Formats: sequence, C-alpha cells, structure tokens
Amino acid sequence: MEHFQAMSPAAARRAMPISSLGLPGTEAQPASRQKVLIRDVDFYYGGFKALKNVTLPLHDKRVTAFIGPSGCGKSTLLRVLNRIYELYPGQRATGEVLVDGQNILSPGLDLNLLRARIGMVFQKPTPFPMSIYDNIAFGIRLYERLPRHELDDRIESALRRAALWDEVKDKLPQSGLGLSGGQQQRLCIARAVAVRPEILLLDEPASALDPISTQRIEELIAELKADYCIAIVTHNMQQAARSSDYTAFMYLGELIEFDETERIFTHPKQKHTEDYITGRFG
Amino acid sequence: MAAETAVIQRVAAGSGRAGTIGDALFRWLTFLFALLVLLILGGVIVALVDGALPAFRAFGFPFVFSEIWNPVTQKFGALAPIYGTLVTSAIAMLVGIPVAFGVAVFITEICPLWLKRPLATMIELLAAIPSIIYGIWGLFVFAPFVQQYIQPAIIDTFGQIPGIGALFAGPPLGIGVLTAGFILAVMVLPFISSIMRDVFETVPAMLKESAYGLGATRGEVVRSIVLPYTRIGVVGGIMLGLGRALGETMAVTFVIGNAHNISASILQPGTTISASLANEFTEAFGDLYRSSLIALGLILFIITFIVLAIAKLMLLRLQKQAGASA
Amino acid sequence: MNIYARRRAANAVVTTLSVAATAFGVLWLVLVLWTLLENGIAAITPALFSQMTPPPGSAGGLLNAIFGSIVMTLIGTVIGTPTGILAGTFLAEYSRGNHFGEVVRFINDILLSAPSIIVGLFVYELMVVPMGHFSAWAGAVALSIIVIPVVVRTTEDMLSLVPNTLREAAAALGTPKWKVIVMVSYRAAIQGMVTGVMLAVARIAGETAPLLFTALNNQFWSTNLNAPMANLPVVIFQFAMSPYADWQVLAWGGALLITITVLFLNIGARALASWSTFKQ
Repeated sequence: MEHFQAMSPAAARRAMPISSLGLPGTEAQPASRQKVLIRDVDFYYGGFKALKNVTLPLHDKRVTAFIGPSGCGKSTLLRVLNRIYELYPGQRATGEVLVDGQNILSPGLDLNLLRARIGMVFQKPTPFPMSIYDNIAFGIRLYERLPRHELDDRIESALRRAALWDEVKDKLPQSGLGLSGGQQQRLCIARAVAVRPEILLLDEPASALDPISTQRIEELIAELKADYCIAIVTHNMQQAARSSDYTAFMYLGELIEFDETERIFTHPKQKHTEDYITGRFG
Repeated sequence: MAAETAVIQRVAAGSGRAGTIGDALFRWLTFLFALLVLLILGGVIVALVDGALPAFRAFGFPFVFSEIWNPVTQKFGALAPIYGTLVTSAIAMLVGIPVAFGVAVFITEICPLWLKRPLATMIELLAAIPSIIYGIWGLFVFAPFVQQYIQPAIIDTFGQIPGIGALFAGPPLGIGVLTAGFILAVMVLPFISSIMRDVFETVPAMLKESAYGLGATRGEVVRSIVLPYTRIGVVGGIMLGLGRALGETMAVTFVIGNAHNISASILQPGTTISASLANEFTEAFGDLYRSSLIALGLILFIITFIVLAIAKLMLLRLQKQAGASA
Repeated sequence: MNIYARRRAANAVVTTLSVAATAFGVLWLVLVLWTLLENGIAAITPALFSQMTPPPGSAGGLLNAIFGSIVMTLIGTVIGTPTGILAGTFLAEYSRGNHFGEVVRFINDILLSAPSIIVGLFVYELMVVPMGHFSAWAGAVALSIIVIPVVVRTTEDMLSLVPNTLREAAAALGTPKWKVIVMVSYRAAIQGMVTGVMLAVARIAGETAPLLFTALNNQFWSTNLNAPMANLPVVIFQFAMSPYADWQVLAWGGALLITITVLFLNIGARALASWSTFKQ
C-alpha cells in the first residue's frame, strides 16, 4: 500500500500514509507521504516580521490550502518555498524548509535548480511576450536539450494537463498575450507543469478570473494532485473546502491551526479558526 | 516515476553553474557600459580643461572679462561670446516662456480632447526640426522679414524712447542678437512646453475638480491650483530650456552676425560661444587661438552643466513630491 | 464692473492668450515647413541623388553628402545603441536605489542635454588630434556619444515598465537572471526600445556641430572612413552661408531631405509607441 522510499529512520517516522483514514474522497487516492516540512520559519520584510515560527508539513500528491485574512502571511509563506523572495534585497527567511529531507533554505543552494523543481503560478496570469509554443517551451529549454518532436510532445501533454490543448492546438505560433484571462492562467499552469516539477505552488490562481474559469481551474487542480504536491493560497474559503485535503489557517504571520480539511471546517480546534470560518471577521 | 527522477538528475547535472557564470558576466558587462557613461563625461571635462589650459596660462582669469578678439596679435577674450550667449538666451526665455506656458495651458485645460494629441505632436515636431534648418530658414526668410518690417517698427517706437532707446539703436540689419534670440525662443518653446504639460498633468484631477466645483474659472484654477502645485517642475522645465538655449549652435550661427563686440543694442550683430566655435575653429591658426576657442567651450560647458544640474535636481524634487502624494 | 464680470474678463484674457500662444507655435511650424518645401523642392531632381557636390558656379548634386550622412549615422547608431541598451539595463535591473546608479542617471541626463558642439570638441581632442587628421570615424563616434544618453534613458524607462510579476514568473521557472532580462524583459520592452532608437537616429540625422570638427567635409566622393567625409549638415552650412545661388539651392534641397527624414522617423516612432499601447 505505502511506498516507503529509502529514507532515514527519522524520515520514515515522519511519513504519514493517509489512505487508511476512511475519510470521504480519500479512498481512491494514492498513498501519501510528507514531501515538505516547514519548520520554525520566520520571515522579515526589512525590520518587519511577517512570519512567526511557522511549522507544518506538506503532503505529496495532496492539496494543502492556506487560508486567512489579508496580510496574514499566506502568500509570504508560499514565496518562501521557492525562495522567490531572494529577488528583493531586504527580504529574508530563517528556519528550515525540508524538501525530501534537504533544507532548501541553506545558503549554498543553487536557486535556479531549486525553482526548476518547484513550480509557481501567480495571482495574475503572466504569459511571456512570445508564442504559446515558446511560452511552454521556455522552461523546458532552460535545462533540457530535446529534439523537436519530443519537445512538441512535451508541450502537447502539458497543454492537455492544463485542459488548454483543444483550445489552442491550432494557434500555437500565436502570441500568448492574445488569450483570454482564464486561458492565460491555464497557459501559466501548463508552463509550470511542462518542466515536471515535484511541487506546485499556486498563489490565488483563480482570484483574477471569472467564475467559469475559476471552476475549470479547480477541476484542473483536482486532476493535477495525482502527480504533484500542491500548495494553494486562497482567500476563498469555499474553494479551500472543496478542493483541498489539508488546510492551514494563518493569522498575522502565525499558523493558528493545521488539519485535514474535513476536520477543520466541521470541528475546528481553535476558536480563532472557527470565527474566521464562520465569517465573524476577515 | 522513473522519467521524473531522470529529469531531476539531468537538472542536477550542473546546468545551474552556467547560469551563475552567465549572470556574473552579464552583470559585469552592463556595469562596464554604465561606467562608460561616467567616463564620457569625465573625458569631456579632461579634454576641455586640457585644451583650454594654454589660453588660461597666457591670459589668466581676465580672459573671461576681456573683449579683445584679435587673431592677428593672438590676443583673445571671452567676454563678447559670453555676453552674446547670455543675451540671446535671455531673449529666448523672455519670449519662449510665456508662449510655452500658454501652449501648455491650452493643451491641458482648454483644448478639446480630439485635438490634444495632434496638437501636442505638432508642437513636439517643432523640437524635432534640426537646428540647421532653423538656421537656414532664419538666414533666408526670417532675417530679411525682420529687417524689412520688425526692426524698423521697433526703431520707430521703442528706439525713440530716451534711455531704453539705446537697446534698439542702429540700422536695421536683419541679422543680429534679437533675431537670434527670437529663433532660439521658437526652438526652446516646445521643450519647455512639453515639460510644463507633463508637470501639469500630474496635478490630481480631484484637486482641480474641487476648484471648478466651487465656481472657479479656468484662469483661476491654473493660477491658484495648478501653478503652485507644479511650481518646482515648471522652474525645472524652464531651466532645461535655458540649458538648451545656451548650447544651441547652428540656428544662432547663421543669424547672429559673428561680430566679436558687445553693444548695448540688441539690433546689432554679436556672437555666442557656440557660434564662435562653429565659425572659427576649423580655420583657427596658432595654438593660442585654438586654445582660446576650447576655453570658450569649457566656459559654455560649465554654465550649461550648472543650469542642467539645477534643473535635474528640481525635477527630481517634483518627482518625489508627486510620488509621495500619489 | 462687479467682481464676477471682472473675473470673467480675466478668464477670457487668459483663454485668448493661451489660444494665441498655441496658434503662434503652430504658425511657426507651418511657416518653417512651408518655406522649406517652397525653396527646397526646386532642388529635388534626379541630379541631387546622382551627382557630387559641385564647385561654385556649376551644377551638381549631394550624393557624396547623402552617402556620408547615411554611413556616419549608421555607424554612430551601431556603436551607440548596444552601449546605451547595456548601460540602461544596468540602471534598470542592477542598481535598485544604490548610489552608483543614481550618479550614472544624473550624469546621463546631463549628457543628454549637453551642447552637441562640446561633444564635437571632445572627439576632436580624443581622435582627430592623435590621428592627425579628420575622419568619418571621428564623426561617427561623435554621433554615437549623442545617441548613447538617449538610448540609455529610453531603455531604462521601458525596462522599468516591465511588471515585476513577469520577472518573477520567469525566475520561478529557474531562469538565471541574465536570461530573464534578455529573453523576457527585453522582449516585453522591445517596442519602446525601438522607439527610443528611432528618436535617437532622428536626432543625429540633423546634427551639424559634432561633425564640424570631426568629419569636416569632403568635396568629392569618398568611401574612406579614415579621411574627412562629406555630410549633409556641414554641406548645408557651407553652401547656405556662401554667396553662390546654385549652392544655396542645393542647401535648401539638403535641408528638405534632412527634415523629411527626421519628421518621418519622429512620426514613425510615435506611431509605433501608440500602436503598442493600443495592442495591450
């Protein structure tokens, strides 16, 4: 049932197979283990401490949602995971983030290689100013030398995974900027999965889109989780309840509660969580 | 699963290294060229000082105040060109600033929306026309016109007033300080106007609307709201225009008359620093002659540098102010 | 007169003066262009483009001058554009708020508005004196020094407009910084940068002063870059100031050619700029 890879005993202890819980929706899921462990992470914007002592796991082949009012640090935390904050001086993180046992916050790490393993989709769709084909090929070409037909196949499969292939298969040479908002976001998702990352970070991927596009994105995420460890930030609680397996509620930079989604939304342990979920604030 | 580990292995194989080398190289490359910009300015200063040194060693500081300009005896003084530069620029500012202001007010406050773009473009095309075109036009078209109509009119009116009359003494020649100043005005007004326009546009619409809402007229809104808000930027724009006027060469060279003398009358010919350089440099004989001309260039550079630096600082202040209130 | 009537009168005065000022400005543009056309059109003959600059008293054309201008403008652009782009890239991408960047920006703006005759003097001391003679190379270098600040400015401005999220999206794929700049930022800003180059070319196409002491002039056809080379602005200067009628006609013709080129480039640059904003 479980697939314990060759790991240290400590890592083996940390892996938590989920399939035996008998919760609705989890029976057919592949077994899960802990992919990422965020441990005692603080984050600073200059002198301002935006994340305080955050510790939680992210499970492989599962969706972990981050909810909380504006400014609670959920996006900040996401951006720690691929160290995209390093683009800006004055922003820094302390603590550990262990991906498969390896601390990715350690100073010597090659950031570009890290980011090739961890994909990110942003709130606003960000197609590159080039053709749809080149948009998807961009990430692949950075690290792999593929012959043309293999590249074509990779691009097609990425676009299929993003449920965009049928809509754009005849217009691959056209600019990515010519697509609608929902299509552009799916393009960005295709671009992210084309490089075959291990982890996908989604920062409010549907918040800039209309309801129909939002729904399609949610369906997409449900399909994608079979292959990736997904972390999604959302300010839409219903979306979190619908699409995720685990939920983390954050407030003012602290992790208030982390649990399986079903349990957090029906029996939250913290009063704060309950207040937020029932709409008493935020 | 196997394919995925394969990808990760390929990734880990070290292509990241090339990325970091590429980054370092590119960063150094761009840094070097940015440094080049500084070096160019440094080079200009060094070249000018080096070239001007013989003249200053021979004549000393009085060079700046002497009116003599005698290639035969190799005795030179910068006063006439400096004077001409300042006076023509002053005339350009006197005529150009009000007109530029009127244009800016018209385009930002009065002009109907469909006319804005084409009109703004037309005024900016005035700035695009090269200096030499203004020069040739000035020499063949404008100067004769001024000689036939404008100058006689001025002589008959202002020239008769005791005291000020000295400013307008002398026969109508067409060419001269006034004509040059006037053409300069036409050349700098698009620069000043365009900066004024940009600066006027930074005034928040809400501020203007509150004034209009109280029943203020357009003139009052401009005077009491727009101008005080954009004061620094307007001055900065004016100084930028002044910097242009001081350095303008070809348009002035054609119509100023190239006479190394100072006269009270602006109807007389004179010379400016850049006109002297343009006219005399290639034929200058003798080291002192050439060096004196380069010294003129140095003086011009210092004057324009100061003016442009002040303009830049003022416009920076305005940017900060606009950014703070945005 | 009561207060309100006085205010209305004052406003009418302001409005009238503004309209007059604008009409004044437009009038000069029309006047200059009109006389240019009127006087220059006579010179636009096939001979203009096929014959060399003549000695006074004979017929001729401007072929060597046109050629020289094109060559020096081209070389000046080729030297100045990459220099300006790289320096502008440094300012936009590598100098967030540091002092060196601010100093460079300041100096660049000074160079942008500096008198072009000073640039001519500088290149004279830099190249003509050591080389011992005037040359087209010196002329091209002088023109490139005028191109550089323009391109630096537009490159920096255009790159700053590229949204940070685009850079983050590229970085999130594991793109090294220099590739983010070259393959994403440049592509996003390309239209603005091309506009900047066009405006720079328009500027140097008509510049006379920097060529006066560097390329000088050449009566004859020459393709030797290491010698004085004919160019339109200096030829116009020489011919227009002369007392010879046929030289003056040629001067007008040359002036018309330059003006058409410059206006064409300017309007083209503007059209490109507004087309790109329209597309987005």
